[in-house]
Amino acid sequence: MAVKNYLSVLILIAVVVSIQLATKATDTSYYLTQLTMTGYYSLVIIGLCLVMGYAGQLSLGHAGFFAIGGYTSAVLTTYNLTTLLEQGNGLVRFLSDKGLLISTLDLYGEAVLYINPWPAAIIAVILTASIAFMIGIPVLKLKGHYLAMATLGFGIIIFRIALATEILGEADGISEIPGFTLFPGICVNGDFGNRVMNYYIAWVLVLIGVILLLNLIHSRVGRALRAIHGAEDAANAIGVNTAHYKLYTFVISAVFAAVAGIFLTHYNGGIGPSEAGIMKSVRYVAIVAIGGMASMWGALTMGVLLNFMSLRGMFGSYDDAVFGAIMIIIMLFAPNGLLNLSVWQKISKSAGKEKG
Amino acid sequence: MKHFLSTTMLAIAAICLLFSGPAQAEDDTIKVGAILAVTGGASFLGGPESRTIEMQIEKINANGGIHGKKLELILKDSGANPEKAISFAKQLIEEEKVFAIVGPSTSGETMKIKNICEQGKTVLISCGAAEVIVNPVARYVFKTPQKDSFAVKKIYMVMNKLGIKKIAVLAGNTGFGKAGKGQLLAIAPEFGIEVVATEVYDKKATDLSAVVAKLMANKDIQAVVNWSIVPAQAIVAKNMRQAGWNVPLFQSHGFGNIKYVEAAGVAAEGIIFPAGRLLVADSLSADNPQKDVLMKYKNDYEAKFQEQASTFGGHGYDAIMVLAKAIEQAGPDKEKVRDAIENMKNFAGTGGIFNFSPEDHNGLDIDAFAMMTVKDGKFVLYE
Repeated sequence: MAVKNYLSVLILIAVVVSIQLATKATDTSYYLTQLTMTGYYSLVIIGLCLVMGYAGQLSLGHAGFFAIGGYTSAVLTTYNLTTLLEQGNGLVRFLSDKGLLISTLDLYGEAVLYINPWPAAIIAVILTASIAFMIGIPVLKLKGHYLAMATLGFGIIIFRIALATEILGEADGISEIPGFTLFPGICVNGDFGNRVMNYYIAWVLVLIGVILLLNLIHSRVGRALRAIHGAEDAANAIGVNTAHYKLYTFVISAVFAAVAGIFLTHYNGGIGPSEAGIMKSVRYVAIVAIGGMASMWGALTMGVLLNFMSLRGMFGSYDDAVFGAIMIIIMLFAPNGLLNLSVWQKISKSAGKEKG
Repeated sequence: MKHFLSTTMLAIAAICLLFSGPAQAEDDTIKVGAILAVTGGASFLGGPESRTIEMQIEKINANGGIHGKKLELILKDSGANPEKAISFAKQLIEEEKVFAIVGPSTSGETMKIKNICEQGKTVLISCGAAEVIVNPVARYVFKTPQKDSFAVKKIYMVMNKLGIKKIAVLAGNTGFGKAGKGQLLAIAPEFGIEVVATEVYDKKATDLSAVVAKLMANKDIQAVVNWSIVPAQAIVAKNMRQAGWNVPLFQSHGFGNIKYVEAAGVAAEGIIFPAGRLLVADSLSADNPQKDVLMKYKNDYEAKFQEQASTFGGHGYDAIMVLAKAIEQAGPDKEKVRDAIENMKNFAGTGGIFNFSPEDHNGLDIDAFAMMTVKDGKFVLYE
């Protein structure tokens, strides 16, 4: 078990590195822009895969968690505190003394003072986790359609809040978000010259996510989750604290979404209400379904492929329709995911025989 | 292990797809990128804009192109999603190496890619209305729609004439509504007007009688200004007349689409709003410098697409024609074209007479708007 998983991680590393080297060799490194964005979306997808595939709980609200993370970080790092500091605001002075603020000039020579992205990101993660926790307690008591509807409702609420709140920029969203300097010299931003670094930042993050989830899945928690997925009542009867495990995974996966939101927001330099939209949540669910629900590698592969194509505009005006259609087709013809189709299995079986 | 093998195979397929690479640019074309919301919540903007731009490029090419080079349009549908606009902008600048970008349709998207175009030294001519696009001025970023603040001032001038002092402001929850509401509130004191009530409604609202009833209870209100671009504009008018409330109704330049008049029926009569002169092109006097441009665009568009030309399509027309004119003047050189746009004077577009300058990347003044009203189901100039 363990050996195979670490082998998979190694292959993922190899693929990530070889793509970058290949783009460098062919002078096509502009592909890395969309691959970076795709990386962050993949983080949401593997997190959702944990909830859907392993714990068997459907969430149609993950774009909401992504948006909470992204918007919180965006607001905190764009709100100009210069005037507040001049007025002698106690809190701002305290933050300033603790070195948690960044003072700089914007493109047009105006002085700006904003919260350092690090504390902003930590606040965003804590906020998302607490919201997921509070929502999770009542919502995860529901099953099937009711759970889907409740999480859908949550997603709509977040979307509406983003659209109606002045500080969140209403329909325009938030622009001109500064880069996120993780460590000196390593910065999450969309500068053309910073592309290779950002590609690796995104995929190292995905890698960390993958390793965390693999460890989780192959631990006591993972076995408990699969028991819940198989038969919740039976799991309860043999002493698995189902409510506890469901909530635990829900919060973890919300945090994955929030982290993705924070990083992508800094990478893009902006966020708009479309990130919180229902179609985004549906898209995440569709990708996990295509990947085969309980297959993190499947979800990751399909997520990269479809998001990459979508971000490059390959689906043209039919973008949302493509994801809807994929969902229907998968549910009808390949409910266990594209990678579990019998065709593939035959191929891999025969390939396996050849290897002996 | 079987999972694994199929996953790896898919990954290989993905990589192959990756390196299928873009077609090489031919030397005798000039690539123009367009990022427009052809579908999604802002399709009423992006739809006419994309059709107009395609039509104009076809025409330019049919006439032999510019300096013997054909324009090649690369149109990307963002569906009004900012994250897609960002991805497309980077793609167009670095990968397609476009000469310039027209669009996006919305202000929110434009603000997301303003810095990207600035960094990529690529001219962006936006069809978004918000003033922040050109204020502060970014070297490479221009916009064609008239400023919201001019529309607001035009409305307030009429109110001053009519002796209206206290008003209510209604706005849809779109970027357009948001920007207009902000300008209405900010400029009111300059004209001695007091906004006594503000209401924001959902862009998909189908009935606003509750909002109207709430406002109607306030006897101080002498006029209502509604700022949106959605069908709700017709609904506001209907609900007000149904409730028997007869205060003047002002709308924004978003009302400049005859569909809304048809939807509101008799309730639309007497609505006052500022708009570009495209709507009244027929009745302009022959010596108006915009007359020829407007009539030609209107006739061409309506003949080709069998639908009324709107001022939104006009923003697309202005964007592509300003660019074409600049290329014609300066030749196919990015920097020179940028300078040519910045120094362009007296260019008659559908939105008004453009006079760009290093301080003004919009180039329109308050006279780009004319006040109009609805009479017998048609748009006429308001006297």
